[in-house]
Amino acid sequence: MIWLTWRQFRTQARVAAAALAAIAVYLVYLGSRIRDDYKGVLGCRPSDCGTTRHNFDESYTGPLMIAGLLLLAAPALIGMFWGAPLITREVEERTDRLVWNQSLTRTRWLVTKLVVLALVSAAVTGLFSLLLTWNATRYDQFIGNRFGALNFASRNVVPLGYAVFAFVLGTVIGLVVRRTLVAMALTLAVFAVVQLLVPTLVREHLMTPVTATVAFDEVTPSRSDLLAVNDRGATIIGYTMAGTWSLTDEAKVLNADGTPYTSQQATACDKSSPTGGVACMARQNLHFSYTYQPADRYWPFQWIELCMYLAVTLLLAAFGLWWIRRRSG
Amino acid sequence: MITESTPVLETERLGKRYGHTAALTDCTLRVPAGRIVGLVGPNGAGKSTLLGLTCGVLGPTTGSIEVLGNRPGGDAAQLARVGFVAQDAPVYRGLSVADHLRLGARLNPRWDRSLAERRVGSLGLDPAQKAGRLSGGQRAQLALTIAAAKRAELLILDEPVAALDPLARRAFLRDLLAFVAELGVSVVLSSHLLGDLEQVCDHLIVLAGGRVQLAGDVDDLLAVHHRVSGALPAGAERVHEEVVRCAAAPPGARPVDLEELGLAYMTRAAVASIGGAA
Repeated sequence: MIWLTWRQFRTQARVAAAALAAIAVYLVYLGSRIRDDYKGVLGCRPSDCGTTRHNFDESYTGPLMIAGLLLLAAPALIGMFWGAPLITREVEERTDRLVWNQSLTRTRWLVTKLVVLALVSAAVTGLFSLLLTWNATRYDQFIGNRFGALNFASRNVVPLGYAVFAFVLGTVIGLVVRRTLVAMALTLAVFAVVQLLVPTLVREHLMTPVTATVAFDEVTPSRSDLLAVNDRGATIIGYTMAGTWSLTDEAKVLNADGTPYTSQQATACDKSSPTGGVACMARQNLHFSYTYQPADRYWPFQWIELCMYLAVTLLLAAFGLWWIRRRSG
Repeated sequence: MITESTPVLETERLGKRYGHTAALTDCTLRVPAGRIVGLVGPNGAGKSTLLGLTCGVLGPTTGSIEVLGNRPGGDAAQLARVGFVAQDAPVYRGLSVADHLRLGARLNPRWDRSLAERRVGSLGLDPAQKAGRLSGGQRAQLALTIAAAKRAELLILDEPVAALDPLARRAFLRDLLAFVAELGVSVVLSSHLLGDLEQVCDHLIVLAGGRVQLAGDVDDLLAVHHRVSGALPAGAERVHEEVVRCAAAPPGARPVDLEELGLAYMTRAAVASIGGAA
């Protein structure tokens, strides 16, 4: 059965190998360039460090984002082109009548197909992820946004979970709807919805966030998108502590006694220049509340999400096996 | 183990519905081992449904079915005992003839490699040829080879000759008869044309409108059916027009051939269904 699985998969395997080889060549080339340029960033002279850093960011944000999106698309393609047609093609060509009447049960046929091809899906995506993770190491250290939705999903182990999930999802949808095009479209739609919902609604709740009180100091504004001071007081928008995953969109700046920092205080403090104003604020013992996922939770998050996808995949596979057995009874 | 007394196929009030449509109703059959069974009926009579139930591709809605004494398609052992060639003999278009034989060898513990290779050789099939490029007749032969080399105890062929031209039909059936004798298997083959099966089958099942119209060994059936012109003899039942059923041949009766007999029952069923609908 493993032989048949492989024999029927040969063409797709060749396409995947060719695509992976092309991506590998590009990523190795890009990775070595990133490493060279990163040395330049580290050894920059203070006078042009700003420009060097800016250039480094500029040159690699685009290519790495495209590579990341490709890695996110790989499981969708696997689900659509490997998973969905796995059973529908047999049904449409009526070869299910041939193969399901050999001396093995459909359950064993499906288990073998699922296991072998899920392993191939994981291997292909895993290799891609490994290459991209290695490639982007320096860049990720430099930018420090490992929890970003795209970065998190396109590095390390989570892509394996996506690939296995998408493959089994496609297969099971194909088993139920029995028509290739419908199964492919549904697979893409369901997978896309899951990949949108997980980072936006689910991921941040996988571990209880930490809320800390952070002292307002002179570097606070540089870690934020905006420091707004108006009639309703001072608000910090988009503050992110280095390496953490910020869950705080905006936070009120508070006095030591917990009352809001008012615009009157700001006006009194302001010495007309913004930096002067910040330096003045920093001396006033202000603080704000910051809810986040700490940096050292990156790997727990990766493993939890991987396990979550694998668990759903197992449930889907169990449903598929129940369904294929039920159809014969 | 199959014994003389274990029927190849035994059904009891077997029924299959697809939604609200009944494909098979109240089908009670008992087919002894060692027969070549012709399953005949017009298109839509329920032949494929009955064969699907027999090999376990389908499950019954009502009633019971036993094939070689077991539930059809229940486990690998039962699957190994029944060979099935579906209508239009589906094969993998992208795989070569040799690949198909390897498929058979890998998926069947009782695979008879020499039989498979001998058949492919004698049929003149090129092992490197892609199955998608075979003619209809060659495809049917390839599918039959896979089913036969599996060394099943029962071979089921759904409309094996429907897609073949008359010449290929005759060759296919002659060849089938020869190696069925060699293998000693029971065979069920269906067709909407009795003429195809007349020369090969020794047991007949006539199906129409999802119901069994007639079933039995050919010799027994021919012995109790006769062609009578004029008045219906005492104790006889008129099937259709001149064909009557009665145990002993009435005086002046002529023998009936299998094709006429099947046709009479199918026509009666068709007339009855029109009458019933009107």
